[in-house]
Amino acid sequence: MATLNEQAQAQQIEVYAQRKRLSSITLARWQAWPGTDQAALFFLLQDLQCGENHLKDLLNWLEEIAARDERTIADILERRELRRARATPGSRNDKLKAVKVVLRKIRYPRLTRLEENVRQALKALDLGRTVQVSFPSDFEGDEVTATLTARNVHELQDGLSQLQQRLDDGRFQRVFDALDDV
Amino acid sequence: MYQPTEILIERGEEEAPVVQRALARLPELPVRIVEKDWEQEDTRPAGMDPFGAGKRRLFFTRQRARFLEHCPAGTPGLVCCNYLIVSLISNCPMDCSYCFLQDYLANNPTLKVFTNSDDLLDEVAQVVDRQPWRQFRIGTGELSDSLALDALLGFSADLVPFFAARKNVLLELKTKSDCIDNLLRLESHGRVVVSWSLTPPAIADAEEHGTAPFAERLRAARRVQQAGYKIGFHFDPLIEYPRWETDYRQALEQVFTSVDPRRVAWVSFGSLRITPPLRKVIRQRFPQTRLLSGEQVLCDDGKWRTFQALRVKMYRTLITQLNRLAPTVPVYMCMETAPVWQKVFGRAPGCDKDVARSLTAPNLGQEGTHRAGRRAEQLTA
Ligand code: SF4
Repeated sequence: MATLNEQAQAQQIEVYAQRKRLSSITLARWQAWPGTDQAALFFLLQDLQCGENHLKDLLNWLEEIAARDERTIADILERRELRRARATPGSRNDKLKAVKVVLRKIRYPRLTRLEENVRQALKALDLGRTVQVSFPSDFEGDEVTATLTARNVHELQDGLSQLQQRLDDGRFQRVFDALDDV
Repeated sequence: MYQPTEILIERGEEEAPVVQRALARLPELPVRIVEKDWEQEDTRPAGMDPFGAGKRRLFFTRQRARFLEHCPAGTPGLVCCNYLIVSLISNCPMDCSYCFLQDYLANNPTLKVFTNSDDLLDEVAQVVDRQPWRQFRIGTGELSDSLALDALLGFSADLVPFFAARKNVLLELKTKSDCIDNLLRLESHGRVVVSWSLTPPAIADAEEHGTAPFAERLRAARRVQQAGYKIGFHFDPLIEYPRWETDYRQALEQVFTSVDPRRVAWVSFGSLRITPPLRKVIRQRFPQTRLLSGEQVLCDDGKWRTFQALRVKMYRTLITQLNRLAPTVPVYMCMETAPVWQKVFGRAPGCDKDVARSLTAPNLGQEGTHRAGRRAEQLTA
């Protein structure tokens, strides 16, 4: 990867920080990284142009992944799935969203897998819009809420029999199982 | 041994026994006599690490508030074990990267030693002796390590005989040190539980600065147990990292090949929990830490923890292993919700007193029918 000379890089980071009104704490955190890591993030930000809040998420996740995997941040940012996300067609926001989804997946591999499994189990319920199923945030707790919406007795009857069928064929059980499966 | 940079003594407390003991053991150190509120009026520059600097200033002062408090685990929504705490020391000579004191004592970091231990004992006697039908568990390891400074301060000689003489109370001394020499000279009559907080050696070495290495803690536990004390172990914080399963299994294995499980009063497990301000402090003071890299989420009580399904898996794995190694040892979880108890043990305690009784009764010679947790084969699959 191309690296800037150190002074020019430091200057460009300062300019970016001013333009995006980054707090001095966030800037200092970025500047405390080794030069190649600073540069790697700077190049990523050329595409994403994110401000304080998104940048803080990136700093947190990148530092935490680097510590866990004993890799440099520059190495992490070179991962194929991240490069692919950066190349997402569309607006900067689309790119930012894609990069954050991938980075969160690297940062929280089991939690995002659990989320995906729950999503699949919900999809398999195939309940349409009559019944909404929701979970406590980050799946803390043990309550699953199923909300049945009906405009008349027919719809209510319909919703109830759909629910009963999903209970009988084990599809609801798979939703509960997915919540514990790590 | 702990080496403070200076000793400060509140005016009027110079003759307190604990002050005299410390001065005799640290004769070389500069001593300043100060007013009780000197810390608020201290105008010296704070430096890069005021919390770390505070640990190295040793201040002897009177405790003016009550000593006896309820453990903060009694937070709504969490299952609590009705534990009482007393603190003769505020702040700790050790420096674990996850320690909550970094945030809790951020504005008040000087290591304080309270000179009026007799008031503490009076206060405890008032509560405990007036209710002989009730059983109490009281610990000193909330605002400091219970034993790390015992060679210097000798508080165990005040506490152990006092508690040894009472039938309805257990004292817990919680430590990550191997400072047990004073204890070996005292008789506990089974009313003092000395417990060690343990993490696997890889974590202890990297994150628990200034503590005794894992093997030394176990050696100390064995010696204390042989001297007639009951002992306990707290796998708290339970830390999730790539090798957690192998490392914690090995740690449990080592514990129960080192000590006699029949004289283990309890084992607890408690997931690492970090408030948002503490997270910031940890990042600043220990930028190399791997503690923040676990899959933690912000829970309802405002603390980051490993997400529920994963911590349930961790608890189940380790409690199953514990039950294989030491099937009769009472086990409980610290600062956990009823749904997590339900998933791990197949039931949540009916009330806080259930947990308390299951830990206190068997250790006060009144084998209760209650167990905090259930045996391995009863764990929900
Ligand atoms: S031993 Fe306990 S009180 Fe002392 S620094 Fe470690 S966690 Fe904090």
